[in-house]
Amino acid sequence: MAGRKGFDIVVVGAGHAGCEAAAAASAMGLRTCLVTIHLETIAQMSCNPAIGGLAKGHLVREIDALGGLMGLLADETGIQFRLLNRSRGGAVQAPRAQCDKAAYRLAMKHRLERIANLSIFQGIVAQVVVKKGAAAGVRTIDGTFLPAKAVIITPGTFLNGLIHIGLHSYPAGRANEPPSVELAEQLKKLGLRILRLKTGTPMRLDRDTIDWTAFTPQPGDDEPVPFSYRTRGPLKNKVDCHLGHTNAATHAVIRRNLAKSPLYGGKIKGIGPRYCPSIEDKVVKFPERARHQFFLEPEGIETTEVYVNGLSSSLPYEVQREILDTIPGLDQAKIVRPAYGIEYDAVSPTELFPTLETRKIRRLYLAGQINGTSGYEEAAAQGLMAGINAALAVKKKQPFVLRRDEAYIGVLIDDLVSSGVEEPYRLFTSRAEYRLMLRIDNTDRRLMGYGRELGLVPDAVWGEYLAKQERIAKAAAFLKKTRVKTEAGDSLSLCEFLKKPEIRLEDVLKWSEFPGALSDEESRFLESETKYEGYIRKQEREIAKAARADSMKIPGGIDFGRVPGLTREAVEKLEKKRPTTLGEARKISGMTPAAVQNVGLYLEILRKKGAQRPPVPRGTGPDDE
Amino acid sequence: MLEDTIIAVATPPGFGGLGVVRISGKRALAVAGRVFEAKSGGKRPFPVRRPIFGTIRDPERRAALDEAFLTYFKAPRSYTREDVVELSVHGSPAVLESILRLGAKAGARLARPGEFTLRAHLNGRLDIIQAEAVNDLIRSVSLTQARISSRQLGGSLSRRIARLRGRLISLLAAVEAGLEFPEEGLRSGPAAWRRSLSAIVSDIDRLVLSHEAGRALSQGVTLAITGRTNVGKSTLFNALLEEDRAIVTPFPGTTRDFLREELVIDGIVFHLVDMAGLGRAAHPVEKRGIARGQRIAREADGLLLVIDASRAWSEEDERLVRRYLSRNAILVMNKTDLPGKVDRKKVRAIAGENPIVEVSALRGKNIDALRGAIRARFAPRTPETEEVILHARQQNCLQEALGALRRAEKLLAKRHSEEVPAEEIRAAISFIGELTGEVRAEEVLEEIFGRFCVGK
Repeated sequence: MAGRKGFDIVVVGAGHAGCEAAAAASAMGLRTCLVTIHLETIAQMSCNPAIGGLAKGHLVREIDALGGLMGLLADETGIQFRLLNRSRGGAVQAPRAQCDKAAYRLAMKHRLERIANLSIFQGIVAQVVVKKGAAAGVRTIDGTFLPAKAVIITPGTFLNGLIHIGLHSYPAGRANEPPSVELAEQLKKLGLRILRLKTGTPMRLDRDTIDWTAFTPQPGDDEPVPFSYRTRGPLKNKVDCHLGHTNAATHAVIRRNLAKSPLYGGKIKGIGPRYCPSIEDKVVKFPERARHQFFLEPEGIETTEVYVNGLSSSLPYEVQREILDTIPGLDQAKIVRPAYGIEYDAVSPTELFPTLETRKIRRLYLAGQINGTSGYEEAAAQGLMAGINAALAVKKKQPFVLRRDEAYIGVLIDDLVSSGVEEPYRLFTSRAEYRLMLRIDNTDRRLMGYGRELGLVPDAVWGEYLAKQERIAKAAAFLKKTRVKTEAGDSLSLCEFLKKPEIRLEDVLKWSEFPGALSDEESRFLESETKYEGYIRKQEREIAKAARADSMKIPGGIDFGRVPGLTREAVEKLEKKRPTTLGEARKISGMTPAAVQNVGLYLEILRKKGAQRPPVPRGTGPDDE
Repeated sequence: MLEDTIIAVATPPGFGGLGVVRISGKRALAVAGRVFEAKSGGKRPFPVRRPIFGTIRDPERRAALDEAFLTYFKAPRSYTREDVVELSVHGSPAVLESILRLGAKAGARLARPGEFTLRAHLNGRLDIIQAEAVNDLIRSVSLTQARISSRQLGGSLSRRIARLRGRLISLLAAVEAGLEFPEEGLRSGPAAWRRSLSAIVSDIDRLVLSHEAGRALSQGVTLAITGRTNVGKSTLFNALLEEDRAIVTPFPGTTRDFLREELVIDGIVFHLVDMAGLGRAAHPVEKRGIARGQRIAREADGLLLVIDASRAWSEEDERLVRRYLSRNAILVMNKTDLPGKVDRKKVRAIAGENPIVEVSALRGKNIDALRGAIRARFAPRTPETEEVILHARQQNCLQEALGALRRAEKLLAKRHSEEVPAEEIRAAISFIGELTGEVRAEEVLEEIFGRFCVGK
């Protein structure tokens, strides 16, 4: 498979990060190789059978606007679709789809196999080959050398993976799949700081052994909203999810068996995600709650496996069995795969540049769970950005980094590389400072231009985008200039009318019909822009102000040791990087906002030195007036 | 930590019984050791937080300059959290200056104004509110202000603000949880949020209102003496100040510009303003004086409205009184040493709530009663236990926060989708964070997971 000249880029791992990385790099014209342990598990959804949700759905849209694959495939293989927060404002609406896991895997494999300059190769990578401080390829466990100009590592939970069920544990990257031990050891040797994290997955049940009458059906939307700008034709709901609850008896079983939990028994040392707690965590941490909800989610059409969202656990199989016995409707249910917890190695993301390249080894990129995140969408977003940046580096072009004010991808990666993680990181809309501007209804306006420039957005999609913008511009002008009289006799523009909280665009257009048709998506965009207008303008001003602060020049000869209140570590970092602006100082990994603030304050003092008062009130001194 | 060591005289300039030099920084001890020699001949290290007696010597000339006590505060248990040495000597400016010079030679740098406190802030010992309180305490002219500042330096206001901020973060976390986890069936909702919001709003409102008293305490209360020409305003001004500050003549319109002096009653500062009388102007200069006077009267915190009791009540008196009576005022009936021509009952009827004090400024009669009335009417009221906002900066932050929270209240009341009120609450949190000089976003998420049970 490897050509004589080797590859431009080798991607290790074919999960959600690896697939996006490989697809992007190869679409950008680079000879790419995707290496994975099993070709059967390409794009495996290891945990829940769903893609999207709040912030995550936003990410999928962004991936799509940049030319990535996840949204398109989620639409293609989705079996139930919902737009979350439909009754709320546009900024907090996000699509989510239940996907057919097997179909998703196959669809991804099928698509990757058809990319001309992408090779797929089955193998276990044992080593990144480093030459002169730069990644030069990888070597598999059987000694095969795959030379490359850049390497992207996306191992998911496989690095030193250790599965726990009750007090039993065994090394594995995913249930019954071999972990990556050699690669984990080598990354440690390369000097990257390693974290130990933990996550878990619930049991899967046999659909035909569940008494469905005991649960409340949760149907999909009547008019599903797709993730992708490339999806054609209506989406169809094929299944329902179901809502159920635990009860006092369930909690009693869990409490009685806590000693058998590897976490409470002290066997698991890794740090788990707080927002995705196991059922035993929930029972212990919220003793006042009489019940906890869970969802029954089908894993696909051709399978009877059902995912129990909310009952993640690492208790022994017998206890899992006992838990189900306490829940009416599940008392006869058969467990086809037990729940388990898994500990794995990750690399502290502060080891990375915002391009996801490691600071210590050039041309080595990390993406996905290895960077301390959790979630398919977070992984895919990083994979896409790592693939793009590795390709740009090989082409000797400027890197591609998104800002916090233009994309959730920017928020995600900036959070990771500048603050690091202490537990598996999940994106939330509240992590964004400018949430009202980062919406699903304006993702194409924010990002598709970049995707186009990178060569990842096809002509047809771009053409449609341009036509859409023209329709939106026309409609916006129409709303501004068309005036109507209210019952009270005031004259209002349609725009002003639309600003009222309870008014929707369709209500406005009843007053004066817009000559032209608008899609739901376009209507949502116009509504958001109108309703949030005051806030958006204010946030734009804040962004401009922050940009000005970041452009504050740091004089070349400055002695960072004299900046008050900095830790030795911060001084060393500043001395080493010698940033020329405050913005650059802010981007140095490990620089806290407070440290940056102190540098800014110090610059301010230098500027005013002697002439005026320092910006902080005076204490005692001989120069007191 | 800072690399350089700073030195300054900490006592006021001029000759004094004592003068204190303060040195802060890594080399504080070394710098002090170059100029100070312990009497006991004991070598360094100096004992911590215990004064030792010795002499100040110029290391080159070996000549003793003064006797001194040295106190060493070891980092981080010092004002700046750095090593601090205080040298207490006799307060001769020449000696103090030579100590600074010797200190500079030994490697210390002259401190800029407020730099010790700046270091205390940057080294995390004081937040901005506390740093402001340091300055207030030093500059306080009244015991009330000193008491408030001292309490704020101890962190009482900072803690109150921190509690407010904590409550806002909890509230935001509850709102955000509903947005981020729409399917979790979380139990708190708009009604509960509005309840906690309105409690927070009324707390901040109380702080905002306290600024009126705070401003009066920190900056003093401006009192304008106003009235028609020749009613004896300047005489009253002098009488209150107990000195002949304003020129007094029997001719109307003597005072053309205004005079401003400090009057201290029971530790409270009043800025007493004497100005041109209001009436028909004879001269363009006087005209401008009157216009200026009217502006001052408008902007003053209170008015002493002077009426000549020895002249017949005129329409002009009536107009003037009616015009200013809506304001915070005391009606001063002057010239009671002369036969009275004003109907007291009539004046009382017009005066309404405003107190009337009869004086003879010329004879100094009843001036003490007027002082008492001024204190009672215009002195800021400050309950012992309540926090008082002394600074315009703090006041601005609080008002901005209050504005945002009131908008949030309104939006929630109108059942607006929560991401917008959330935006307002976030803004309020950042204004409150500005108060103490700290803003962080991660805490909201901390709260979500500390308080809520959320599944995947």
